[in-house]
Amino acid sequence: MLWPAMTQLNFQWELLAPEFILVGWAGALVLLDLFWGSSAGLRTGRIGKEPLGYLAAAGAVAAALVSLFWIGDHKNFADLIDVNNYTTLFRVFFGLTAAFACIASARYVKDRLLHPGEYYALILLSVVGANGMAAASELLTAYISLELLSFSLYVLASYDKFDLRSNEGGLKYMLLGAFSSAIFLYGISLVYGVTGSTHFNAIGEVLKGDTSDIDMALLLGLALMIGGLGFKVAAVPFHMWTPDAYEGAPLPITALISALSKSAGFALFLKLFTQAFLPLIDDWRYFIAALSVATMALGNLVAIQQQNLKRLLAYSSIGQVGYLLMGIAALSPESASALVLHMIGYVVTNLAVFVCIIIYYNWTGKEEIKDYAGTAERAPFLALCLSIALFSLAGMPLFAGFATKFILFQSAAQEDLLWLAGVAVFFSFVSLYYYLLIVKEMYLGEPAERTRFPTPWLEYGALSLLVAGVMFVGLYPQPVYDAVEDSTATIFAAVEDSAAVSERP
Amino acid sequence: MQDAWLMPAIPGAAFVILLLFGKYLPRKGDWLSIAAMAASFVIFFPVLADLLDKVDTEGFTGGGKSWEWISFDTFTIRLGFFTDQITIVMLGVVSFVALMVQVYSVGYMKGDSRYGWYFTCMSLFAASMLTLVLADNLLLLYAGWEAVGFCSFLLIGFWWEKRSAAEAAKKAFITTRIGDVGFLIGIIMLWKQAGTFDISDIFQFAAAGGYDSTYLTAAVLFLFAGAVGKSGQFPLHVWLPDAMEGPTPVSALIHAATMVVAGVYMVARMFPLFQLADPVALDVVLGLGLTTVVLSATMGLVATDIKRVIAYSTLNSLGLMFVALGAGSTTGAMFYLFVHGFFKALLFLASGSVIHATDRQDINDLGGLAAKMPLTAAVFGIGTLSMIGIVPLSGFWAKDEILHSARDAESAIIYVIVLASVAVTALYMTRLYVRTFFFQPRDRQAREHAHDAPLLMSAPLLLLAALTLVSGFLVFDGVGEALGFPGGIGKFVFAEEAEAFKFSWEVALASTAVALGGLLAGFAIWQEDAQPAKRLGERFRPVYELLFHRYYVDEVYQWAINHIVLFAGSVLAWFDRNIVNDTGVDGSAGLTYLSGFQMKFLETGKLPNYALAISLGVIVIAILFLVLKA
Repeated sequence: MLWPAMTQLNFQWELLAPEFILVGWAGALVLLDLFWGSSAGLRTGRIGKEPLGYLAAAGAVAAALVSLFWIGDHKNFADLIDVNNYTTLFRVFFGLTAAFACIASARYVKDRLLHPGEYYALILLSVVGANGMAAASELLTAYISLELLSFSLYVLASYDKFDLRSNEGGLKYMLLGAFSSAIFLYGISLVYGVTGSTHFNAIGEVLKGDTSDIDMALLLGLALMIGGLGFKVAAVPFHMWTPDAYEGAPLPITALISALSKSAGFALFLKLFTQAFLPLIDDWRYFIAALSVATMALGNLVAIQQQNLKRLLAYSSIGQVGYLLMGIAALSPESASALVLHMIGYVVTNLAVFVCIIIYYNWTGKEEIKDYAGTAERAPFLALCLSIALFSLAGMPLFAGFATKFILFQSAAQEDLLWLAGVAVFFSFVSLYYYLLIVKEMYLGEPAERTRFPTPWLEYGALSLLVAGVMFVGLYPQPVYDAVEDSTATIFAAVEDSAAVSERP
Repeated sequence: MQDAWLMPAIPGAAFVILLLFGKYLPRKGDWLSIAAMAASFVIFFPVLADLLDKVDTEGFTGGGKSWEWISFDTFTIRLGFFTDQITIVMLGVVSFVALMVQVYSVGYMKGDSRYGWYFTCMSLFAASMLTLVLADNLLLLYAGWEAVGFCSFLLIGFWWEKRSAAEAAKKAFITTRIGDVGFLIGIIMLWKQAGTFDISDIFQFAAAGGYDSTYLTAAVLFLFAGAVGKSGQFPLHVWLPDAMEGPTPVSALIHAATMVVAGVYMVARMFPLFQLADPVALDVVLGLGLTTVVLSATMGLVATDIKRVIAYSTLNSLGLMFVALGAGSTTGAMFYLFVHGFFKALLFLASGSVIHATDRQDINDLGGLAAKMPLTAAVFGIGTLSMIGIVPLSGFWAKDEILHSARDAESAIIYVIVLASVAVTALYMTRLYVRTFFFQPRDRQAREHAHDAPLLMSAPLLLLAALTLVSGFLVFDGVGEALGFPGGIGKFVFAEEAEAFKFSWEVALASTAVALGGLLAGFAIWQEDAQPAKRLGERFRPVYELLFHRYYVDEVYQWAINHIVLFAGSVLAWFDRNIVNDTGVDGSAGLTYLSGFQMKFLETGKLPNYALAISLGVIVIAILFLVLKA
């Protein structure tokens, strides 16, 4: 397989404009922070750097908007980075996710953390990494992007440096992350050794045809890569860092890990397995299905036992990963769309949950489930929004979770994985218990005090947008589904294109 | 017609705003609710004009706009709004009466502790009702259908601190739900064979012979079950009299002019299916309608609550509409529905004025109000005469149409029964009027402070009275043409069958004769101290008891609930407690909880264990790969 020489490669730097914006913006934020008041003033709360958060959000939104410019394009930068609908969808999605995380951070960071400039800069850099994971068309670029995302998150997870839990969670996250990165890299090298390429499409082409005499090293490489990606998306048994990191990290960062890191992991997982390993699907699909069952079971069952809301959400997010893995196990154009749709619905819902928790934490500094007793009386709007989001996570009709889960389970059932869909329905049912537990606490519990909380208008605005998104996807999923279908079509089209190429004499 | 969807959308938006921010709005947002309703009513006119433009074109069967709601692979559901001649009649009634009632409510509900909530519910009701009317498919229609039922529940139980109100709300909800289940079964049956919820498509499918005749008959009878519940037909009529526990404007809007006629509207809308089905379907409609007419007219004779008497007259009217439908005259039913909306809302709102002024609603406590409340007495009189069917009020023309169709029906007995009901209607309506407005007051204290309602409440009364006077003339081709319609209401609504206005002196004279007879008899029986009535009551004690206890239908239901439902319930409860709950639910929940508890300890918090898990995961996958492949 010959690849074009460097001179023939396409170096259209403007294709990377969103990433340049993010990096530049991140640098600017650091500088701005440097020249804006002193840290000492910040600690005493005299000089607030709250606006930095909104500036960072603006940068993320700007990058998302700029990326819209390439809707419908099929471009490639230097044979490393695809710029097509798939990339655009994730660029927009990641940008908006980060923007919500920044807005939710603003007050939290002002009150509790030092060095806000670096904090927001790292968030923006993590978006660059996430974008790269969705856009990469070959393994090393994907790996470097993954590392960029991970390193930003390692630092962010331990950002609350005077809090032991934050340090512990961050350190565990980093050590295990390094460990699984090595595993992933080893997998890459084995796959490269067998197929002679790191490009997804080229690998896919090599694996096409008769796969009965496939090299065992390739399967070993595949197993290692599943392990590496499994760590990133927190699939059982590679999930163990999740509860510790979730609990330790500052709340907005927990939100970011659960939203950005997870969906970037799935963006890469989906693209890699579609373009490179689809020919081997009969070999790996049952492993993924088994991981899916284990993940659903462990996440949902252990979640029942949790008393800390962040840990509960960590396990619930593991459970959700189990559902998402179904989309990979059943890999087809429909299931890929269903996976991305469910992921978007899940992230929007999860962000809504986290915004609620952050608001509540800003008020009270508490995060145990029992601390939410009687919230409905003290903050009815918050309780309503949190209930809607939790109902959606549980997959109740009217809300995003139902529509997207329905489509996902249906797509799995179509690929002869009806039993898996059955298991998923069972565990969705189990999950109702712990989600409703929070709702019950909020509406039936006795509040410690009866005073109303002050209204945080900006956060409530962001929350309203997210809840509106949850309801919209729940009631009228069609437009989002169409957009997702457009984007996943491009990665499947790439598979067919390369098939067409190889058929040429 | 493209923009008809705005009519429900605007009150719907008002509902959302009121629900979220109503508390913070000046005057609790009543103006917003009314403004939304007014906007909706204004939009009615362009929609009507558009329809009139197109109605002459060849092959016109209505139009609208629909959106794809869900589409995955071959499974598609479209939702949309649809306007044709039947819907336009209903739209006019609903939007106008809703507007009048909301304006009236500003005065009536003043000072109520849940004033804002009242208007929130009213907005939701208007949005749901208009959705029901405009829906182009059964799914949306059903959604609107359930939503109006829910609003009815909220508004009947508006004063839920009162036990009777809470009970009535529950009774109304549960009773109508029984019919709704049938309705849903009918919808699913129609969908199952046709594969679509779209009403026009279902008509085409049925016309092409897609349904088996027996199957279709069963399906439409299930649909009709929904109408029986919603429109208070025998045997599900028991909730409507109790529903009078709600605020009077609610009774006027929901339990007289709009929601309760939804059943009639639905049957009229689906009428092509009823015609294609076995004739037995329409016979059932006719039979139940006739039964309701007889029961309600006689029960109206002994009720003493002013609102309950009007409620029985509503049941009576609804029965008549179903008689018309059963006899095959959709025109008659829809025309009666149209004028009934005005005069019945008028009667309720006027009775509301009486209750508002005197704080009494038992006619044994009232009397002599004509002098104190001349305006109310006048409009109440117009409403009463229209209900009785005295020429030239609107009720006369509409009743005349129904009498015609009854006379043309297979059996002469139907005509006789309907005619007799006209006499009884005249009797109890006269009783109601005489006992409320004439002679000496039985409770002087109540009369002392009585006065006509303020302008805000009187204006809707006057407008409705005016419409009661003139709306009947729409039946004439000449009047219709002068207003821009292609003819009288019959010609307009059912252009293809050209069901023109029928008039025969024989029917008109007969109905006028019995109506006047009933009227005079009423005057004779309920004189100053109502001695003749008391004597009659003593003489026919068992009959009086039977009527007073509403034919013991409620008692029979209560007995059935106590002895049959609760017994079956106790058996099931035992099964549920011991087998389902203790063994199934608690058992499996315990198992789930336990397994979660066990798995919790996998999370040790020790880093090497975590790394070990990752390594083991990879190794197991790799080994299985190699083993399976080798």
